[in-house]
Amino acid sequence: MLVMGEVHTGLLQNSGEIPESTCRDVLQLLSGERVRVSRRPIVYAVSPDLLTGVDCRLPSASQSRIRGAGTVLSRSSITGGRVVQGSSYTRIERSGSDRRQPWSHYLARPGVVEVLGKVKSRDLADGFAEDPPADGLDLGAISARFLDVVQSSPLLDRRAPFKIARTRLRWVAEQGEPAIRFTLHSEQMRTVRLVHTGEFTPAVADLCEDLALHDWLLTALLVIIERARIGGTPGPEAAVKLAPAVDHLLHLWMPSARVDDVLSAYWESLDRRPGFTRQWQSLVDRVRDQLAVHTLAFLREKSGGGAR
Amino acid sequence: MLIFAISDKGGTGRSVTSTNIVYRHALQGNDVCYLDFDFGSPTAGAIFSVGSVARGTTRKGLHDYLLGEGAPEPHRVDVWTESDREGLRTKPPGAGRLVLLPGNEGGGELPAVEEETLRRCVQLFSRLDEEFDLVMVDVSAGRSFTAEMVLQATVRLPSVPFRWLVFHRWTRQHIIAADGLVTGADGLLDAGTRFGHKRDALRDRIRFVRTAVLEPDAAELVGLRDEQRAWLFACDTELRELASRHKVGRTSMLGKIPLDPILQWREQLISDEDVLASKIANAETAAAFDDLAKKIVDDAAWEGL
Repeated sequence: MLVMGEVHTGLLQNSGEIPESTCRDVLQLLSGERVRVSRRPIVYAVSPDLLTGVDCRLPSASQSRIRGAGTVLSRSSITGGRVVQGSSYTRIERSGSDRRQPWSHYLARPGVVEVLGKVKSRDLADGFAEDPPADGLDLGAISARFLDVVQSSPLLDRRAPFKIARTRLRWVAEQGEPAIRFTLHSEQMRTVRLVHTGEFTPAVADLCEDLALHDWLLTALLVIIERARIGGTPGPEAAVKLAPAVDHLLHLWMPSARVDDVLSAYWESLDRRPGFTRQWQSLVDRVRDQLAVHTLAFLREKSGGGAR
Repeated sequence: MLIFAISDKGGTGRSVTSTNIVYRHALQGNDVCYLDFDFGSPTAGAIFSVGSVARGTTRKGLHDYLLGEGAPEPHRVDVWTESDREGLRTKPPGAGRLVLLPGNEGGGELPAVEEETLRRCVQLFSRLDEEFDLVMVDVSAGRSFTAEMVLQATVRLPSVPFRWLVFHRWTRQHIIAADGLVTGADGLLDAGTRFGHKRDALRDRIRFVRTAVLEPDAAELVGLRDEQRAWLFACDTELRELASRHKVGRTSMLGKIPLDPILQWREQLISDEDVLASKIANAETAAAFDDLAKKIVDDAAWEGL
């Protein structure tokens, strides 16, 4: 019927980026299952999928009381040894019967929540953008926990190079004519509504994680540039404040790196408007230009000092 | 960094001083947040002039969050946008974020420290430390389960730096009480050691802040008779001796806040406008807050005693 998910993205709580081997150890949440790693074009490590059982109210724009039971699929991932994500999603399907089934029934369908009773797909999707009620399905809380597990790993030194808020991207995917809408809500909250042709595949979740990752990078770079107060503070001070961006963020931009070819058109359309890469590139140029200007000023000062 | 603000007695100016410290720290360009852990009387909203949470929030506050009452995230208030005071509603250029996490209206003190409550507290501190340069936690006055909970939480977060500020007024009873809160039976050091802190290391992370201090040479005292001034001077000397006997003396003091009439009448943030434009507050008070806001993160001020 439809798929709902939420991705939380944050800065890994470690002074530097961590190597691939440490990524594997940190993400070994479930013993016996292997951590998957891909190395090109950027090191990406992802934990095995874990299930969380839920039996709760589902979102509804019309505030109807819809009950669902089943399981949510979640995982943690680390990109470039620096950015960490907690991601959860579940497919909402109509139940074959009106009665609540035993857990064995739901465990046989990992990542599916069955709706007990009547439901309209549109009502669910519209309600999902809102914050869930106390007894409602809260994928964000599950994703945040999967992020916490990584951040609290004893293998990390917790001395992150700068403080930065996590961002959360809530997404819902339906079947129909292909379309995508990305909306910024508050400083940390984003939503994506996506319509795809054919059956849902996990590649859609990958796409949303990739969007969340790049949106976080863009947000973090904007915050660092704002903190540097270019023009409002002396050049050397601004340059020092921009340094973490160069050290930790600028090399991580790899849009669509892990996105299935079938879905890459969605990224391309977002890159046309609002234009993620365009904004990123202009910010990167700004940081580099600032550092160049500062270097020139520094050299001029030095050579001037030598002549005197 | 986590900063815990505590006092032995009520009415020491703990909340008004700690809110002013975070406010100054934000003005200095840091992202800060303030946690109202004074569950019995959550009034931080009033000091920040956020009317909607003046007596705590009616939404999911810290109290609900810690007790697991349906709140995966506690309610946050962005002071720069939600304050009713016009002077606070625009974020000054270069200032960091200033976020308040209010308690619940009608929350009440924690009845005990359950494992689940402690786990949530650790999770909250850990997430906020990821996001903010400074996290100020206003712990209620005296020995409480809240104080025990944060002592235990910091044991579980060994790599997150933390410090304690003990607020007291400059009187005989307050000096003795402040010392008792730290070194007395079942005080911070006793309780901390019981939960797994090292006594000496914990001691090094505790500093005293004197509030509402009237210096014998203050301008306010000009109208006093000579006999009164002599008496005050003798009192002050005696208190200094008492303080150093109780190890609440100069070396373990992080700062002192002069008595300011404005804070006696209304607990509020003292902005530069209050000092320079309307002149209702004393410049020394604002300077003392500013100084403390720098010292709480200055390692030199926290070297071992």
